[in-house]
Amino acid sequence: MRKDRTGYLFIAPALAHLAVFAAVPILYALWVSLFDWKILKGTMPFVGLGKYGEVLQDPSFWNAMGNSLKFTLLSVPSGMAVALLIAVLVAQQLRGMGLFRTLYYVPSVSSMVAVSMLWIYVYLPDNGLINVTTKLFGFKSVDFLNDPWWAMSALAFMSVWTGLGPRMIIYVAGLLGVPPVLYEAAELDGARPWAKFRHVTWPMLAPTNLFVLVTSTIAAFQLFTPVYMMTRGGPLDTTDVVGYHIYVEAWSKFHVSTASAQSFLLLIVTAAVAMAQYRLMKSQLEGYSAS
Amino acid sequence: MTRRQLLGLMAGAALCPMGCKSVWLPGKELRIATWGGAGDDDEYARLQKRLYREFESAHPGLKLRVEAAPDSQEHVRKVLLDYIAGAMPDIVNLDASSAAVFIDNGTLMDLTPFIDRDPAFRLDDYYPNVVDVARRGKSLFAIPTDFTPMVVYLNRKLFREAGVPVPTGQWSFEKFQEIAKALTRPGVYGFEFANWMPGWVMFLWNNGSDVLAPDGSRATGFFDSPKSVEAVQYLADLVNKYRVAPSLSQSAATGVDFFATARAAMKVSGHWYIVALKAAKDIDMDDIAVVELPTNLEHSVTVMYEAGQAIGKGCKHPEEAWEWLKFWASYGVQKRYNASGIAVCGRKDVEEEKLRASRGTDLERAFQSIVPSARPPWGSRVEGYDRVEDVGQKAMDAVLKNNVPVHVAVSKAAHDIDAEFSKR
Repeated sequence: MRKDRTGYLFIAPALAHLAVFAAVPILYALWVSLFDWKILKGTMPFVGLGKYGEVLQDPSFWNAMGNSLKFTLLSVPSGMAVALLIAVLVAQQLRGMGLFRTLYYVPSVSSMVAVSMLWIYVYLPDNGLINVTTKLFGFKSVDFLNDPWWAMSALAFMSVWTGLGPRMIIYVAGLLGVPPVLYEAAELDGARPWAKFRHVTWPMLAPTNLFVLVTSTIAAFQLFTPVYMMTRGGPLDTTDVVGYHIYVEAWSKFHVSTASAQSFLLLIVTAAVAMAQYRLMKSQLEGYSAS
Repeated sequence: MTRRQLLGLMAGAALCPMGCKSVWLPGKELRIATWGGAGDDDEYARLQKRLYREFESAHPGLKLRVEAAPDSQEHVRKVLLDYIAGAMPDIVNLDASSAAVFIDNGTLMDLTPFIDRDPAFRLDDYYPNVVDVARRGKSLFAIPTDFTPMVVYLNRKLFREAGVPVPTGQWSFEKFQEIAKALTRPGVYGFEFANWMPGWVMFLWNNGSDVLAPDGSRATGFFDSPKSVEAVQYLADLVNKYRVAPSLSQSAATGVDFFATARAAMKVSGHWYIVALKAAKDIDMDDIAVVELPTNLEHSVTVMYEAGQAIGKGCKHPEEAWEWLKFWASYGVQKRYNASGIAVCGRKDVEEEKLRASRGTDLERAFQSIVPSARPPWGSRVEGYDRVEDVGQKAMDAVLKNNVPVHVAVSKAAHDIDAEFSKR
């Protein structure tokens, strides 16, 4: 009993932090979503689940959900693939690899506002890095951030770069956790590098893949800063992702109850997607053992 | 409390009974919420800073804390959040385009009691129609500093080169289009379209329509009316069909101001544009003229964008805040402030002096002649008009960028605006 108490004491600071900065605001938002709070006028009539019904019928919210899904589909698989590729390279036991790991991690510790500003310059139509380069090969200049067809892809491409660090580190950890004996056995069986990756590395990375997939998907659904800095949801609402949509609803239109209801619907959708991903990958996890 | 503050307090206590109003209690701070210029180091920003320091010097113990948002939209959000959080700034730079949300939600103090008991302040010094932008019944919520009607800028040099006479009086949409076509030649466009709803909404007005109903309650039946469709189509055709204005992608790709680089002969803008034109190396200001907007009505109509100073509700130092308002709107300050060319001064004496000093063909005179046809923006009366502008701009973008038929785009926009209004 006393041992239990000591354990609780150890986790108490983290629990207190979670309660004050996560649980209380979440419960408060849930409470707010049940009212029609006109925050500027100070009126707050109870509407029950009325705001949820309103949001479910709002095409702009579903457009934002669709945009978030599109961003997720564009950025997560490609981001995971690039991170795995880089991780395989930097996991090699060679001199100077620590430097490369650090360099690839740098974007992740940079301010997303500063990074977004940098990428605005990269995407500039006339003298941005990409257009200057593509023009050398005779391509026409593209206004990436103002073109409805390109804008979302531009954000996704940038996120592959910004999200590289954490994904890569997790993959490196996963790769280093694969028992060398398995590779040795594969080599004895005459496996070539691709076969070793396919039949040893990839199955052994299943838990890592699941973790990266779920956390990347959640992060993708929460996208905000690059949209705020680079496109403001435009052009023509094509980058109005749900995180930005909720922000505008709450702090531009001051519809805080609607925004709270939207946040809970986002929570439900994100949880459902994560659960679906877990179920889809469950079969790969069965029988997995790193020991 | 420091020794200096204590001395100030004692001096204040000794002098106040003698009716001295220029002694201030130490340690007071006025928060001024405004936008733009925070990190600028141009002459205009430097002048602003000098004026702040002059006010502080004249009011010992009183400090100004300027809180500048990057743009007017962010300014509105920030100040409203401050109000919600119970931290309303003492002074609010009130943009007419968003005045309604501040005034109608009771975030500002009524200035009438200050005006009534201050013989040193004369509201008659200001243009009455400009003052009325922030008026609700007998209450007044801001003292105007400056304003501008939206006008058509002309580059007379490009007109001369094309052999096109410079328009002087009233002109129709058709005439405007005809002139824009005649001015367009390789390397030069007749017109530069500012794809920004506050810069084109007046074309609806001048075609006998509007974005909202007269009472500001809805957009359906107005923004989607045949006259509105016609006006939006007219603008879109200038860009996409007749190509007398650079396309949006062209503007974005080059990133240049076509008019300020003498590559477009006409552009719609406000008085603030003079500042940019004066700094433009390809522009000779003697070649620049302004005329009223083209119209299909009997008389041209334009919008009056205005800014004034207001006192936030809950201001801890209202008397000091009123002193600031008087200082900022005074003849001496406005004369210097207005010399930058940023806008038309809200004070009659400053403008009249400017006109007396100017020549007959001067830009200021032309602006003055257009002022009577200017009406306040919708945002001064309708709360949430910024959302109308967002939706309206998306409609124009859909037409210009995605070739969505105008009637489809404006019909969707009108319904979206009504849906937004229903949530107010």
